[in-house]
Amino acid sequence: MSWLLRRNMLPLHSNSLARRPLASPPPLLPAPLPSPRETHLWYVVPDQLKDASLLNQYMDLLSPCERQSVLRMNGERLQKGALLARALVRTTLARYCRVSPKSFKFRKNRFGKPEVEWNKYDLWAPPPLQFNISHTSTMIACGVALDLPIGVDIEEKQRKTRNNILSLARRYFSPVEVAYLRTLADLESQRHEFIRLWTLKEAYVKALGRGFSGAPFKDFTIRLEASNSKQVTGESKSDASRIVVEAVDHPGILMNRWHFALFELNNSHYAAVCMERDVKDPADRENNSLKLEVWRTLPFVEDECVTETAAVKNIIR
Amino acid sequence: MASISATAISIPTRPRHSLQAVNGIFGLKSVSISSLKRSFPSIRLQPTPMHFRVCCAAKPETVQKVCGIVKKQLALPEDTTITGESKFSALGADSLDTVEIVMGLEEAFDIGVEEESAQSISTVQDAADLIEKLVAAKSG
Repeated sequence: MSWLLRRNMLPLHSNSLARRPLASPPPLLPAPLPSPRETHLWYVVPDQLKDASLLNQYMDLLSPCERQSVLRMNGERLQKGALLARALVRTTLARYCRVSPKSFKFRKNRFGKPEVEWNKYDLWAPPPLQFNISHTSTMIACGVALDLPIGVDIEEKQRKTRNNILSLARRYFSPVEVAYLRTLADLESQRHEFIRLWTLKEAYVKALGRGFSGAPFKDFTIRLEASNSKQVTGESKSDASRIVVEAVDHPGILMNRWHFALFELNNSHYAAVCMERDVKDPADRENNSLKLEVWRTLPFVEDECVTETAAVKNIIR
Repeated sequence: MASISATAISIPTRPRHSLQAVNGIFGLKSVSISSLKRSFPSIRLQPTPMHFRVCCAAKPETVQKVCGIVKKQLALPEDTTITGESKFSALGADSLDTVEIVMGLEEAFDIGVEEESAQSISTVQDAADLIEKLVAAKSG
């Protein structure tokens, strides 16, 4: 891991070439890299942003192309959301890499999944971070993992659907998932479970790098499976079960390459994370669960680690 | 307005335009694509995919009806401008919104939309054109 040795050589703001009409923003709180099997999740609540000059600071971080994309959004609320999302990705990655948030270049894979374009950096070897973002109108979240694909999806707990839940499920979910939803007697439980399952399925197709259009939801089932994994004291796990995924065409053959976490975030959202296992790591082969660290942030203003707080609860892995 | 247009398109060796918050969150007015295209006819703001309209574009009433369904699904403020050119991604539609919009359109127009066709829709006009094609196929 040569980047470890070179870390001390990195300047905090390596962007001396650009003219900066705005005052330099305060430095970002650096973060230690995610350990194996660990996801770091950073989220921002747009309503907490009251200071218009902060928006200008965020805009200043973006590439010209990103700025154009932000301006193409229809209306101020959507523009603000798009801006915050880009600022969140850049500032989050900057914490791990100890460079200016402006330095990153991005590209999309063939299905449209954004990823960092690392080969621009020939002076040092950056940590091989992978990330994924998700937004709703009231929260934007960015998940980060070291060297393994990750997918994140968040959804408002109160999200209502215009169509009937079972109609949506019959059309887009697998037969096993539809059968599960049908066992729920009341409509509210059905709606909550639909949303939770949707976030898990989204997180999975995003981790795959294919997205909703590249990996049809109907082709795979996500469900709970009784597991033999050891309970870790202190975790609020009510039963020893884990979230698994299997192909509809090959039921019973679990796709063990992927592990999941589903939880409630900020009392307002369901959040799902899907991460690939490191098959070379003996500890990962034992199906140990995904570890999670969560921060609430308003970049350049405040950061709060909320992992062990009421902001992150009812974790199922 | 002209200086904002120039900054948005120029190569970033010029000093960045200093952004002032005036009224509301952004002092930047949403620069309309068509006004920028008139000023810089040779420059494309974004690489739009080439797609051919096989038949005539959909009737305005169809486009209007689609706009109404989309506005309702996405709970957009009343003063939001949606036209045929509006892209679903620019309206903040996520994948669940997209499937709900497709189902809403199916119900409103009494048609069935295949998943592959649904994936190819990126603007309101695309949706309206597809709807008219499906309606014509049904009655033809």
